[in-house]
Amino acid sequence: MAHKWGMVVDLDRCTGCEACVVACHAENNIPTAGEDQAARGRAKHWIRVERYWEGDFPNPRVRFQPVLCQQCDEAPCEPVCPTYASYHTPEGLNSQVYNRCIGTRFCANACPYNVRFFNFYNPEWDKPLQLQLNPDVSVRSVGVMEKCTFCVQRIKAAEIQAEAEKRELKDGEFTTACAQSCPSKALIFGDLNDSASEVARLASSNRGTKLLGELGTKPNVTYLERGTWEDANHG
Amino acid sequence: MERRDFIKISALSGVMATLEGCRSAEKQLIRFVPEEELIPGIATIKPSVCTVCSAGCGLLVRVMQGEAEVVRHGQQGLIKMGLAKKLEGNPQHPVNQGKLCARGQASLQLLYHPDRITHPIKRIGPRGSGEFQAISWDDALKEVSAHLGTLQASGSANSLAFLSRPLSGQRGELITKFLKTYGAPPPGWYQPFDEAVLRQANLLSFGHAALPTFDLASADYVICFGADFLGTWNSPVAQSIGYGEMRQGRPGRRAKLVQIEARMSQTGANADEWIACRPGMEGVLALGIAHIILAEKLAPQGAGSRPGPLIAGWQEGLPGYAPEAVEKQTGVSAVVIKRLAHELTQSGSAVAMIGGPPLAHTNGLFNALAVNALESLVDKQSVLSFTPQVGDAAPVQASLAALHGLSAQPPQMLLLYEANPVFSAPPSARVREALAKIPYIVSFGSFIDETSAQADLILPDHAALESWVDNVAESGSSRAVASLAPPAVLPLHDTRPMADVLLGLGRQLGGEVAKALPWATYDAMLRAAFVPLRTRPGSIDVKTDDDFWDAAQTQGGWWSSTSTTPPGAAVKRAPLSAASPEFAGAAADFPFYFLPYVSQSFGDGSLAHLPWLQELPDVLTSAMWSSWVEINPKTGDRLGIKQGDLVEIASQQGTVRAAAVLSPGIAPDMVAMPVGQGHENFTRFASGRGANPLSILAPLTEQETGSLAWAATRVKIARAGGPEQARLVLFAGGMSGFPHEEQPR
Repeated sequence: MAHKWGMVVDLDRCTGCEACVVACHAENNIPTAGEDQAARGRAKHWIRVERYWEGDFPNPRVRFQPVLCQQCDEAPCEPVCPTYASYHTPEGLNSQVYNRCIGTRFCANACPYNVRFFNFYNPEWDKPLQLQLNPDVSVRSVGVMEKCTFCVQRIKAAEIQAEAEKRELKDGEFTTACAQSCPSKALIFGDLNDSASEVARLASSNRGTKLLGELGTKPNVTYLERGTWEDANHG
Repeated sequence: MERRDFIKISALSGVMATLEGCRSAEKQLIRFVPEEELIPGIATIKPSVCTVCSAGCGLLVRVMQGEAEVVRHGQQGLIKMGLAKKLEGNPQHPVNQGKLCARGQASLQLLYHPDRITHPIKRIGPRGSGEFQAISWDDALKEVSAHLGTLQASGSANSLAFLSRPLSGQRGELITKFLKTYGAPPPGWYQPFDEAVLRQANLLSFGHAALPTFDLASADYVICFGADFLGTWNSPVAQSIGYGEMRQGRPGRRAKLVQIEARMSQTGANADEWIACRPGMEGVLALGIAHIILAEKLAPQGAGSRPGPLIAGWQEGLPGYAPEAVEKQTGVSAVVIKRLAHELTQSGSAVAMIGGPPLAHTNGLFNALAVNALESLVDKQSVLSFTPQVGDAAPVQASLAALHGLSAQPPQMLLLYEANPVFSAPPSARVREALAKIPYIVSFGSFIDETSAQADLILPDHAALESWVDNVAESGSSRAVASLAPPAVLPLHDTRPMADVLLGLGRQLGGEVAKALPWATYDAMLRAAFVPLRTRPGSIDVKTDDDFWDAAQTQGGWWSSTSTTPPGAAVKRAPLSAASPEFAGAAADFPFYFLPYVSQSFGDGSLAHLPWLQELPDVLTSAMWSSWVEINPKTGDRLGIKQGDLVEIASQQGTVRAAAVLSPGIAPDMVAMPVGQGHENFTRFASGRGANPLSILAPLTEQETGSLAWAATRVKIARAGGPEQARLVLFAGGMSGFPHEEQPR
C-alpha cells in the first residue's frame, strides 16, 4: 500500500523547548533573516511553537502548541496556485515545486495555518556558514515560497534504500528532523497507512484533535490534547 | 592514497615539471588531493560530545564531503573534505538517548562561525581595542614559552593563573596537573549561575556534592521549587525525556507537576499547577508542607530522618511552620499548603526538587536544605538519586572566588579558556580593572569577546567538532558516563587544540611539568585515562586495551552497567534556622525584585553569537534578536508602560534599558530579564544588541557558600521611550484569521 505520511503532536509531552525549530533550520537550509528583516515579519520557521495565555496572575496558564504545515488532504494552498507549484504528492504531502513557483503568494494567503514563507531576498550565508548547508536540500532563491516538507529528502532516501534492499520500509526507520530531536517525544512521524505504526496508533487516540479541523482541510497532523492529573488519577 | 604518498609519486613521475614556477610545488598540490576517503553524496555518521553545557550529551555528527576553503601549510586553497552537516543526539548515549536541545543543535555554528579566530593573533592596539595582528604559531608559542620560563625561573611560578569555565573530564585534569607541577595555584573555574549552593546542600543532605539525577519516568508527583529543569537547568534533555514519559508514557498513569516560582519559566509554563511564592521564601514553603506531613503523620515512620535534622526544629515537628504562619511569609495560602502535603504523600512516587532562583538568594542554602528535607520525606521510590562517577574526583566547581583572587592579587600571567567574566560577572567583581593589572594575558578563545579582547595573545582553539572531546556526566544518568570522541572533521582554520598546546608548552618547560604530562598529544592522555575502565562492567566488553580504545571511540564513550547511587547519609552539623533573604536596595526606593534568568536560547549568554539562536523565537514571548524585560500587565498599567515600550531598569549598581513585554506569568512586584544579550564585543551577530542584566547585579552572596546571590537585587523601573526606541522583534506567528478556534485544550 502507498505510504501516507502523517504526524502526531502530543501537547501533553511538548515542553516548548524548541529543539525542533533549530533542528529544522539545520536540516532544511532555512536562512536566517537577520534583525531588520525579522522585524518586518520575514523570519522563516517551518515549525514554530505558539503560546496561548489564559488568566491573570496569580493563576496564569500558558499552553504551547507546535505548528507546522498540516499536510492537508484538502489543502487550501493547492488549488489557488496558478502554476501548480503547490502540488499534492501521491503520498499525501503538500509539496512546493520551487522551480514552478512564480511568487504570487496566493498559497500563503490561502493557508489558514500561516506556515508558508516567502523569500523576499536571495538567502545569504556569511562565509564559511554556507558549509553547514545540507546537500540533500535545495536552497530556495528569491521570489519563491517555501514550507515544511516533512523532510521529504529523508523520506525519499529511506524509500530508495528500502527499494534497493527489496524490503518494506519499517516504522521508525527514519523520522523528520524535528521529531528526531524532540527530547520529550512530543512529535511522532510515520506512515498513517501502516496501522501498526506508532503514529497511526496515536492518531486514533481519543485525545486527538485537528487544528482548525472545522475548515475541512483534513490535516494529516493530529494534536493530542493535554491531559490532567485529576482525570488520570481520580477520573 | 595518503596525501604524502601522492606527493612522492608525483615528484617521481615528473609531474613536478608541470608545476615549475610555483613557489612550492608541494603546497600547490595539496589542494587537489582529498584529505579523507569520502564518497560524494554519502553521509558518514561520527560520534561526538556536546560541549555547550555541562550536561555532556552524546552527539552523532552527519559528515558529508564538501569543498571548503582552508589553510594548509600557510596557503589557502579549496579542498574536498568531510564537513559536519547536522548534529543529532546519540541514541546509545545514556544521558540524552538520541535527543538534543536547541542549543546543542545550534552548536554546529560554532564550527562555521564567520567570526572565528582563524590563526594566532597578537595585540597591537591598547587593551580592549580589539586591534590584533597575525603571528605565526612558532613565534606565538615561543613567546608564551619564554614568559612561562621566565616566570618560573624568577621564582614567581605561583603568579601564573588559569581561568576557565568548569571542565569535567581530562581537559580539567590536564590544566590542573599543568598548574600544580608548574608551581601555580589551581585553576579558577568560573561561570555565571554556578551550582555551588546546591552541591553544598546535597553534600550536607545526601552525602553527595553533586547535582541530582531524577528518574522522572517513574514519578507520579513532582513539586519543583524554581528549577527550569525542562529548559536550561542541570541536564535538561535527560529531564525532558523523563518528563515525556511521566506525562504520557504510562497508560492510565499521569504525573502532576507543581512549579513554585515568582516568574513563570519554561518549566513553569508546563506545570499542572503554578504557584507564585515570595522570592527567597521557597524554603519556608517547603517546611510548611513538611510541617503538615509531620503533624498529620502522612509519611512513613523514619522518612526524612537523615536530611531533616539539618533544619532547626525538625525533631519537634517544625513548630514554627504552621500553615497560617507560612502563608504570611510566602504568600501561598494555607489551604494550598495543606492540599500539597496531602497530594504529595498520597501519590505513588513523589519528588521535590530545587534549582535556579531560590538558591540565588542570601539564604539559598537554607532553601535547598529545606527542600531536600521535604524530598527525603516524600520520595519513597528514590526518584532522586546521584549519577555514579567514573573516578572519585568531585565535580569541578565554578565560583566567584576565582574572580576575587584575580583582583585581590593580580597574577603576572593569566591563561584564559572559555570564560567571559568581563561580560558575565557582576560589576562588583571588577574584572575589567583586575585584567588591566595583569601584565600578560593569553587566551585560547575561538572568538573575540569582552574578555579575550583584553588578551595580549590569542591562540585559537579548535572547534569542539575538530577536537578530541570528553566529558564525565555529573548527573542525568543512572550509569557512570565517560563520553569520548575523536575529531569529527578536520580543522578548517590554522588553529590548534588548547590541550595539545598546553602539552607542548609542558614539554618545553621540562622538569616536573614534562614528567607529569608525558603525552605527546591529548588523545594519548585520554587513552591513558580510558583504558583502565576496560575491566569494569559496562558498555564495552573486549579483551585488549586497543579494542577497548577503538570501541570507546566508535560508541562515543563508555558507560557502566551498574545503576544509581541512592542518596547517602547526611553530614552531621548544627541545624540551620530559617533566614530571611536579604535584598540590595530598600523596598521603598527599589520596589521590584529583579530576576535575571538563564536564557532558553543563549544559556548563560555564551551562545549569543550563533545566528540560529538569535533568530529562535523565545517560547514565552516569541522575541528574537532582542532584549526584553517581563512586567506584569497590572504593573505596566500603573506605570504607563505598554507592550514594546522602552523601559529603564535601575538598581543601586547601574541601569539597563530594554523593551517591555507584558506577561501575566510574573508577580506584580517583580521584573525579569533573560541573560545573553548586551554584548559589546562578541561577533557580528551579538555585538551591540540589547542589554545585559548581569551588569546591574548587586554584590550580595549566599551566606554559607559565598556564591553570587543573583536573584537578590532590587530595582526600580520607568518608561524611557516608545516602541520605536526599544525595538522588540517578535516572530509573526499565529493564525490571525482564526483567533479563537486555535486554542489548544
